[in-house]
Amino acid sequence: MKGAALAGLVAGCGMLVGAAFTVKSEVAAATQRLTSPTPIADAPKVAVAADAEAPYCTPAFKQVLARVIHACGLGGQDARRGCQPADVKTLASISDEEFNALFTPLRDRGAVILFDDGADKLDDAAKKAIEEAWLDRKGARYFFVVARASKTGTPDFNRTLSHKRANSVMFHVGDHFQEPELDKEMGLLWLGNEFAQLGTEYCAWNISRGEKACTAEAINRSAFVSWVDCQL
Amino acid sequence: MSNATRSIPAVLALVASLMGLSLGGSSTLDYAAHLDRQMHGIHCGFIPGMGPAETAATGCRTAMFSTYSAVLRDQYWGGIPIAMGAFAFFGAFSVYLLVAGRDAPRKAPWFLGILGLTPALVSAGMAYIAATKLGEFCHTCIGIYIASGLLALSGILAIVLDGRQRDGRDGPRVPAGGLSPTLVDDAPVTRTRAAGSPLLVLGWLVALGLFTAVPAAVYASALPSYGSYIGSCGKLAAAPEADVAVHVGLPGAKQPATLFVDPLCPTCKAFHQRLQAEGVYEQLDTNIVLFPLDNSCNWMLDRALHPGACVVSKAILCSGDRASLLLDWSYEHQEEILEAGKGEGGDGRVMDLIRARFADLDGCVTSKETGRRLDKILRYIAKIQLPVSTPQLFLGDQRLCDEDSDIGFAFTITKLAPEVTLR
Repeated sequence: MKGAALAGLVAGCGMLVGAAFTVKSEVAAATQRLTSPTPIADAPKVAVAADAEAPYCTPAFKQVLARVIHACGLGGQDARRGCQPADVKTLASISDEEFNALFTPLRDRGAVILFDDGADKLDDAAKKAIEEAWLDRKGARYFFVVARASKTGTPDFNRTLSHKRANSVMFHVGDHFQEPELDKEMGLLWLGNEFAQLGTEYCAWNISRGEKACTAEAINRSAFVSWVDCQL
Repeated sequence: MSNATRSIPAVLALVASLMGLSLGGSSTLDYAAHLDRQMHGIHCGFIPGMGPAETAATGCRTAMFSTYSAVLRDQYWGGIPIAMGAFAFFGAFSVYLLVAGRDAPRKAPWFLGILGLTPALVSAGMAYIAATKLGEFCHTCIGIYIASGLLALSGILAIVLDGRQRDGRDGPRVPAGGLSPTLVDDAPVTRTRAAGSPLLVLGWLVALGLFTAVPAAVYASALPSYGSYIGSCGKLAAAPEADVAVHVGLPGAKQPATLFVDPLCPTCKAFHQRLQAEGVYEQLDTNIVLFPLDNSCNWMLDRALHPGACVVSKAILCSGDRASLLLDWSYEHQEEILEAGKGEGGDGRVMDLIRARFADLDGCVTSKETGRRLDKILRYIAKIQLPVSTPQLFLGDQRLCDEDSDIGFAFTITKLAPEVTLR
């Protein structure tokens, strides 16, 4: 009997000590890994949620946009709003054609708001087109308004006129949507008649006066509006 | 009765105990490996520790990460795994029986017969849980169930053989003091076996308790401190606006919570089930923020991880006070919806499934307004720069680390939300 008890005791102690030792070792190893983790070289990096980044966001496009954002008051550091033609020329450092070509991918995303000759007032069709463009935001962070004026008139007059047209768009969005962060979202460029005039091929874009004749003069009495799906 | 026949219960008990001990040990070691808060492979098979450690979602992983795999989970991070058990004691006890042979007191087979049933009863309970709550069985667990069953069988056999001996079917009885038997002596030696002192039974019970408690105590004492890890995963930068969140908190729920989920994400479904199983879900005043990982609406992805998730998310946005019901439906039919969402026309097929169950949502789901609301939700997520993964739970503004969302959940929630009580 004593021999059996001893055998049981020895077996039991062996199993108990073995189990306890193994458990303690594994927990200690996990503790070591916890406190001194080994960096995993090929560990997948978890993406962070961000604004949309469309394929048309080429480095050249983003460079122009970034310069506009920082120089034209969208960065939020100053009270300045919008950029004048001279600014844009300096900022973009590219030709008229290259500048317009940057916006070509936005053809289906945005709209060309047309104005009457010498006017900055929005008609109903223009308001509707702006509202639809604004609501179609998806993941974009910046809304750009690129206002122009036709060749008719002096550069100074057209510069002021295109400025007013850009403001008309901004004021309408502000009034209609009560957007609290409009200042940080909307970038204005007014080009007057000095830079990046549009050709008649832009009449085929989504224009606000589809039923009226679109001439070389008419297409430049305009403001192109669109959300831009680029991270800047 | 021959010595060989008499030894059968002890041998069977020894085999069963060693089998249970090694399977339970293997499972415990797999469990302990996860104490580093990382994901590891799990040995899942009938032969302990054999085969590659599997990383895929298996029954073993489901069982291990379930709320039933450990005890004292609110006291220790991960709790104490219950697979360790008392097999070591029964292994030692069977060695004792084997060596003692006919000298073993009569209380010994009865002790084995009665106490040997406990692992089988626990196994039966776990098997019931696996069948009814988890919906799948793990191979290692089945191995432990078999070992427990064999141990119970050995105990019953021991009682039966003891009864036959007492009834005289094991040879004529002779007064005490007869020849002592030996292991090689197969002759029908006859004598009355001692019943055994009640103190002996008490000693065995104490030993059983010790064998059960010591490995658990060693495990608990070796655990690291997790205090510095909990709550180290960031805060909610800004609370969601009313039209961004879908409120699903029940009346009386006090703990504010924001839960970012994709209705077609399997991990979200598992997390939802964990919250419910722990009894936590109904105590959270939850705002759900939908985060579909589907590129048909989510610009942050270049492909759909969960095709159809955009449509289902829109349906939830449209469901008003039935949002919780629709979320439950999407989890319940997740595989079917995901399958329908694959390939060309997937969104349409998912819409058909929604239409079949919630016909009144049809117009709302496909409306521009709902699409814009979902865009706004995703822009909010982009603005607060959340990791692109689901689920993510914030208790108040404190983020629950992903590493704390499975085996460490019960411990962590008691720290981050002390008012929440576990089931």
